[in-house]
Amino acid sequence: MKKSASRKWWQAFAGMLAVLALAFVEAPVAQAEYGDVVINNYADGAGMRPVVFPHWFHRLRFRCKVCHADLGFKFKAGGNEITMVKIIDGEFCGACHNGDVAWSVENCNLCHSGKPGTPTQVHESTIQKLVQPTGATNKK
Amino acid sequence: MKKTYVIASLLIGFSATQPAWAALSGKEVFSKTCTVCHTPGIAGAPRFGNTADWTPRVAKGLPALYQSALKGTPKGMPAKGGNQKLSDDETRAAVDYMVTAAKVETPKAAEPAPPAKAEVKAAPKPVTAKPAPKPVAKVAPQPAAVPAAVPVPEATAPATKTASAAPTNVPGSDPLSFNRLLKPPSKRNLPPAEDGIHDPTNDGTHALLPPLSVFPNMPKANAGNRVDWVQALEKGVIKPRADRTDPTAEMMVMDLNVVREVKGSMPNVVYPHKQHTEWLDCSNCHTGIFIPQKGANPISMAAILLGEKCGVCHGKVSFPVSECRKCHSQKKEFNPTPTAAK
Repeated sequence: MKKSASRKWWQAFAGMLAVLALAFVEAPVAQAEYGDVVINNYADGAGMRPVVFPHWFHRLRFRCKVCHADLGFKFKAGGNEITMVKIIDGEFCGACHNGDVAWSVENCNLCHSGKPGTPTQVHESTIQKLVQPTGATNKK
Repeated sequence: MKKTYVIASLLIGFSATQPAWAALSGKEVFSKTCTVCHTPGIAGAPRFGNTADWTPRVAKGLPALYQSALKGTPKGMPAKGGNQKLSDDETRAAVDYMVTAAKVETPKAAEPAPPAKAEVKAAPKPVTAKPAPKPVAKVAPQPAAVPAAVPVPEATAPATKTASAAPTNVPGSDPLSFNRLLKPPSKRNLPPAEDGIHDPTNDGTHALLPPLSVFPNMPKANAGNRVDWVQALEKGVIKPRADRTDPTAEMMVMDLNVVREVKGSMPNVVYPHKQHTEWLDCSNCHTGIFIPQKGANPISMAAILLGEKCGVCHGKVSFPVSECRKCHSQKKEFNPTPTAAK
């Protein structure tokens, strides 16, 4: 029948439109702070949420130099191979997050607070915006 | 049945901007568009199926809800959920679908609503095969939904007209929602639970400090966090430590500007050591990123955009490359024989 045929066509067309629309709408899901770093080297694999490191929060309290020169953090998201063992030994985050300078490691969920599956990234970085569309899997 | 077709064709003819493709059902629209925010509750969006979230909104009446959905709200709802491809009726159908799922007790407010949905759903859907039964079934317990079962087509016709007439005057309302790389003000500095990266189901997320608890007192900037961190430090708004434990430690500040002459018409770059050494140690940049010798560091915007040289920080954590004139700040003397070029 003519009607049902055209309806089918409509449905197909609507489906295509929906896919198109999704492509447009899907992008701006995350609206986190500029410079928030998601670190997901091992977290997903270990069944933990990825770590979200808020640069802005730490910048209120410390100069860049404290972490990036004194503590040896490289300027590279996910490039420091941080593990909980190192942290408990007082390296990296553990230099302050030891219950002395800042709260200590038993507050798992304060750092491990990212949405599971979020790739390692510097949120809103130029590279993320220009080279990889937001939401796409981020190379390290 | 016939009548519903008449209504449908009326509608189609009515809004010239909408091509004659079959309207999506509320559920379809929801699962394609709305769910992005309305399932996790991003930016305070009322969550799907959450009665408490929806009750105050439904209380204002469905027309108000439709308006919010069609035109967007200052709180963060983009017009038509940011999907301008949706017709007004599809948008309304999605609202209906969510309201129905929220199981809010709606005594009166719902009455003008059902027609809008009725005509959309009743026309193509029930006749078709699969997806139809579900929305209808879900809808059934609601008084609002009853018209979907056809009985009042006459009443619906005029209602739909007025309903779809009003919003077509103001289609894409929020001009900023068009550019998806540009954050509208309502999406800036969101609290962790709503920022899309933190997991709102994690208890720790809610213990984190929301940026706006601090930022309003800080000097403003036009990009990044919208905070001018260098000024914040200069003015003493923040007093970040220069040492992990010693609050009296001081930075080794070096006041030396380096001017880089650049090609083309852009002003030359003035690199201030001072502002950088307020935050950083020499070893942060030298010699890993920059060789401390004139002419030894070829820098291009391409490299910076890709995260090298200045781009190791600028465009990631320090002010982004959109702020051209913060670096390119020294006006060139006009000179017909260019001396620059390096």
